[in-house]
Amino acid sequence: MFALLRINAASGVSTLEQHNGKEFLLGGRTLSSRLVSREVAADCDPLGRKNKLFFCTGALAGTVTSSANRLSIGGKSPLTGGIKESNAGGIVGTRMAEQGLRCIALEDAPAGDAPWRVVVIGKNGVTIEDGAFLVGKGVYERSDLLSTRYGKGAGCVTIGPAAEKLLSASGIACSDPHGVCSRYAGRGGLGAVMASKKVAALVVLADGPHKPQYVKETEYREESRHVVKLLRENPVSALFTKYGTAAMVDICQSLKVLPTQNFRHGVLDGAEKINAQTMYDTIKARGGEGRTQHACMLPCAIQCSNVYPDADGKLLCSPIEYETMALMGSNLCLTNLDTIATMNRIANDAGVDTLDCGAAIAVAMEAGLAAFGDDQAAIALMREIRDLTPLGRILGSGCKLAAKVLGVRHAPHVLGQAIPAYEPRGTKGMAMTYLSSPMGADHTFGFTLRDESDPLTKEGKVGLSKKFQVIGSRMDAMGMCNFVRYAVRHDMGPLLNLIKSYYDVDISPVEFDDFVKETLRIEHQFNLDAGITAKDYRFAETFYDEAQPETGEKMDITDEETAQARAW
Amino acid sequence: MVTLTFKLTEVGRVNINLPTPLPLSEVVEQIAATSGYRPGGYIAVRGGRVIGAGTMIADGDHIDIFPALSGG
Repeated sequence: MFALLRINAASGVSTLEQHNGKEFLLGGRTLSSRLVSREVAADCDPLGRKNKLFFCTGALAGTVTSSANRLSIGGKSPLTGGIKESNAGGIVGTRMAEQGLRCIALEDAPAGDAPWRVVVIGKNGVTIEDGAFLVGKGVYERSDLLSTRYGKGAGCVTIGPAAEKLLSASGIACSDPHGVCSRYAGRGGLGAVMASKKVAALVVLADGPHKPQYVKETEYREESRHVVKLLRENPVSALFTKYGTAAMVDICQSLKVLPTQNFRHGVLDGAEKINAQTMYDTIKARGGEGRTQHACMLPCAIQCSNVYPDADGKLLCSPIEYETMALMGSNLCLTNLDTIATMNRIANDAGVDTLDCGAAIAVAMEAGLAAFGDDQAAIALMREIRDLTPLGRILGSGCKLAAKVLGVRHAPHVLGQAIPAYEPRGTKGMAMTYLSSPMGADHTFGFTLRDESDPLTKEGKVGLSKKFQVIGSRMDAMGMCNFVRYAVRHDMGPLLNLIKSYYDVDISPVEFDDFVKETLRIEHQFNLDAGITAKDYRFAETFYDEAQPETGEKMDITDEETAQARAW
Repeated sequence: MVTLTFKLTEVGRVNINLPTPLPLSEVVEQIAATSGYRPGGYIAVRGGRVIGAGTMIADGDHIDIFPALSGG
């Protein structure tokens, strides 16, 4: 049986339900999207009382298995108007497992002038406490206050000042193993949803008594060791340990898909100044609190995260991921890692998605509010978001809105969610994926680059994208880290064997993929019911009219083709 | 002479003599056998264009080999 804890944000009443079935067993996105689909009216106001937030752990949460403690958060997105699942690393998943919880549901909403609350979950039940001590404070300060009050080991979920103002690019920050709320479920504006319920933080205490009850513990541990071996021996997942996702800068530069100058170009002059080797060398040279190998959750054999220090060796930002290096770096024509790290830190403190804000700042630059390549101007615009100035609130609402207000046609988004990682005209496979994700442009969904023999043609890309939509969604489907997929790309057996020896439940690879496909069907249906139509799954018209200079390519994928790529 | 540069690895740049053209995959396997490079998934770029495992490699080619990572 799996526990679902419902908390009514208006009345403060909580109820505990017990559920069975494979959707609860798998947890993760399998569960969160089904619950959203069933319990959230697709046409509701995402910031109203009918929206819900579901926090779900995965099938192997709380066990000895590497990289198995992702927290999946689902709801209706104020950014896209459709369904959203956003997941984060950190320790909250572990703490929930220790409390015996598969899912926490935040429901209803109090009146707008109701006081802010902190929801505290521990072995003795749920308490609703005064949250005034957090209001208006940045996420870093909130982290410190929450750690002080509830202990560094508590799993805390919080929001920043941007979410308090219901900005659509606001995310949800979760505790990392050091007690800092640095692991973000950043995309889709779910921070604003949490704020709409006047919940300043949700705390899962470290007093949970539950331990995993393996049906066959010896076999389980042996299979877990096998998974670690697979991760360490896989040459791709092993590379993440040294360079993290920053390795993508060189790859994308070479493929001419590095987002540059508001997605006008795919190549950045000076990209080597912000690439993986430069970041690695900088972290090593500065020492101090810097780390090139860092785990966002425990246990984890991949440890792709990093801690980027300032010139004095003190932590400036942790982590810096490729997508931020692209959207807050190359996309703004910036070639200084310290600038990117500073902007990332400000974004973390404001509680906003670095990708959507980076894209919005690039739009502002194209509108003439600042020059591309101006480090200080970029930092200043990021501060406007943190300080919630009128311009900052526009930028903190995402690039679609920013482009509309500032009069920029070349707005890089799908369904309102900023294109994250690859200039789509240079990779038609990734373009197909962006155009067919139920979440808006999503770089973790359907990664085709490796298998595109010719990225510039759209031929064959419907099938390619669909193939990798399934492969790319498998880890989300059971609450595992996405990078585990490299080790099980051709054979899900090791993970399904773990489910067997933990629960004594058989799930075949075919049945597992059926769950994945059904999840996608459900998500697309939700979007349809929410009023999202085929014409919304498009890039801005400029992507179709204007050629990327480096490749000469325009976007040429049709609505019919993307409809095929969305059909399950 | 064909030059392959294995990016983000200890292998780095490798020059090999190729009297007759060979598919890329065979060239990479030859290098892997002697250098300790473990191919895994990779993305190969020649002249700014992606090439596949079956692409014929000939004398004078310069190819960058990247690990097939993704962002996250």
